[in-house]
Amino acid sequence: MLQILQDILAGLWETSGLYALAEHPGSLIMMLVAFLFMFFAIVLEFEPLLLLPISFGMFLSNLPAVNPEDMIFHAEFWNQEQTVDWFWSVLHDGGLLDKLYLGVKLQIYPCLIFLGIGTMTDFGPLIANPKSFLLGAAAQGGIFFTFLAAALMGMTAAECGSIAIIGGADGPTSIYVSSKLLDGANSSLNTGTIALAAYTYMALVPVIQPPLMKLLTTKKERAIKMPQLRTPSKTEKIIFPVIVTLIVALLVPSAASLVGMLMFGNLLKESGVCDRLVDTAQNALMNIVTIFLGISVGATTTADNVIQWEFLKVMLLGVIAFSLGTCCGLVLAKIMNWLSGGKLNPLIGSAGVSAVPMAARISQKVGAQTDPTNFLLMHAMGPNVAGVIGSAVAAGVLLSVIAY
Amino acid sequence: MNLLMVNNLLMLAGGSIDGDAHMDGSQYWGVTLAGLGIVIAALALLVIVIFLFGKLFDFIHSDKKKVQSAAAAAKAPKSAPPKPAPPAPKSAAPAVAVPAEDEDEVIAVISAVVAMMSEADGTVYKVRSVKPVGNGYAGRTAWAMDGRRQNVAPF
Repeated sequence: MLQILQDILAGLWETSGLYALAEHPGSLIMMLVAFLFMFFAIVLEFEPLLLLPISFGMFLSNLPAVNPEDMIFHAEFWNQEQTVDWFWSVLHDGGLLDKLYLGVKLQIYPCLIFLGIGTMTDFGPLIANPKSFLLGAAAQGGIFFTFLAAALMGMTAAECGSIAIIGGADGPTSIYVSSKLLDGANSSLNTGTIALAAYTYMALVPVIQPPLMKLLTTKKERAIKMPQLRTPSKTEKIIFPVIVTLIVALLVPSAASLVGMLMFGNLLKESGVCDRLVDTAQNALMNIVTIFLGISVGATTTADNVIQWEFLKVMLLGVIAFSLGTCCGLVLAKIMNWLSGGKLNPLIGSAGVSAVPMAARISQKVGAQTDPTNFLLMHAMGPNVAGVIGSAVAAGVLLSVIAY
Repeated sequence: MNLLMVNNLLMLAGGSIDGDAHMDGSQYWGVTLAGLGIVIAALALLVIVIFLFGKLFDFIHSDKKKVQSAAAAAKAPKSAPPKPAPPAPKSAAPAVAVPAEDEDEVIAVISAVVAMMSEADGTVYKVRSVKPVGNGYAGRTAWAMDGRRQNVAPF
């Protein structure tokens, strides 16, 4: 009798979530990290629109479950070669978040987010001052120098490309590149860890950039006032997305999906005849995709994926990529300032690292600290939106040189 | 090294590096230099194209303005001779024209803003004179400037 009771209790204990949690203490750590991220999102308001879905996805996928059928996300699906049969098994046996994560692996979400960004972006400052494109290009130095650093640390080409793209300071682009390069079987890294690092550093732009900006510029340079930009005509704004798509698609076809969707969104906005589509793309669609992307990417951060040395390497190389990108933009802006005879405030160079509009705001803020009557925001928006195009082009270059 | 690099750049197109493999020195240097070079070249091409388009549009607009002003001049009644140009202002700065009755109102508004500032930081200010600014901000009203400052201050 006592033995039967003992067996029943033991069976209950072994089928309980608490037992699974005791067997996998890493899941408990990840749940605590998820709670910390929820605190950051809700109380400190650090990128709450993304961090809250990511942290809840992290919480859900680390919840202990004894039966595989009960699991909302199956990490093992994503650590194997992805064939046609594999897709069927995800659709048949996968949990809700597995199915939502297919939108990441198939590169659907990043492109739809670019569509939404396009409808919200004003390329006017870039059209008015096309030299800003160069600052957006220079800031991509962070991507390629980090590629070099990752290769020197002994990583594979796919891992180097996926980590380096974090330097573009562009979440959707990082997800796009890493989901193509990392197929689960070739690396211990996955798209979720890359996205987590990218969004963490994007939230930390106000912490990472200002010290570098002050270090690399003099007070006199920071006080430079730039002349007011001209206002481009409506026709210019309509032709711009078509020209950019044409040139980028001809030069770097692998970047056509991202740049094409970005410019399509912008054309919808600038045409002025598709208000309903613009409204949907920049509000409803963007919000839906952000929810799906956030919660499914958060779900990939299971204890096995995150609690490992490789993730620490990603975080280390990520901050190097961000810092190098900022420095490259600042250095080119200093050179352009010197060539223009002191007419360009070098602070706008750091905005070339995408992270729209956060990086441009930082340029404005640091400039205003030196001279409160200095308004750099619109000047910094030029390199900032150029950085989005630049990081998409850099992504295309990486995807065309690395076989996947 | 240079020849190796050039060879590598030529090889790079078409996914020549195996994603699962570790790279050798010439490969990762090749990707770094060629990648950065391609991004800069692509965006530099965009600089040139967009710059030329800007010039073209400026030219078209200036042409349109010329035609419009010529048409306006042709339409002007011949009986009304143009008034003599007013004497140039002594000040070099292009002053914003403010009617005399509005001047007091503008000064009152400026004084009110200064009074708010003094209340905020505890220092008492006295408005001694109000002069129009002749730099790039000329042409904007004080309200527009203040509105702009408020909009960008949180950044």
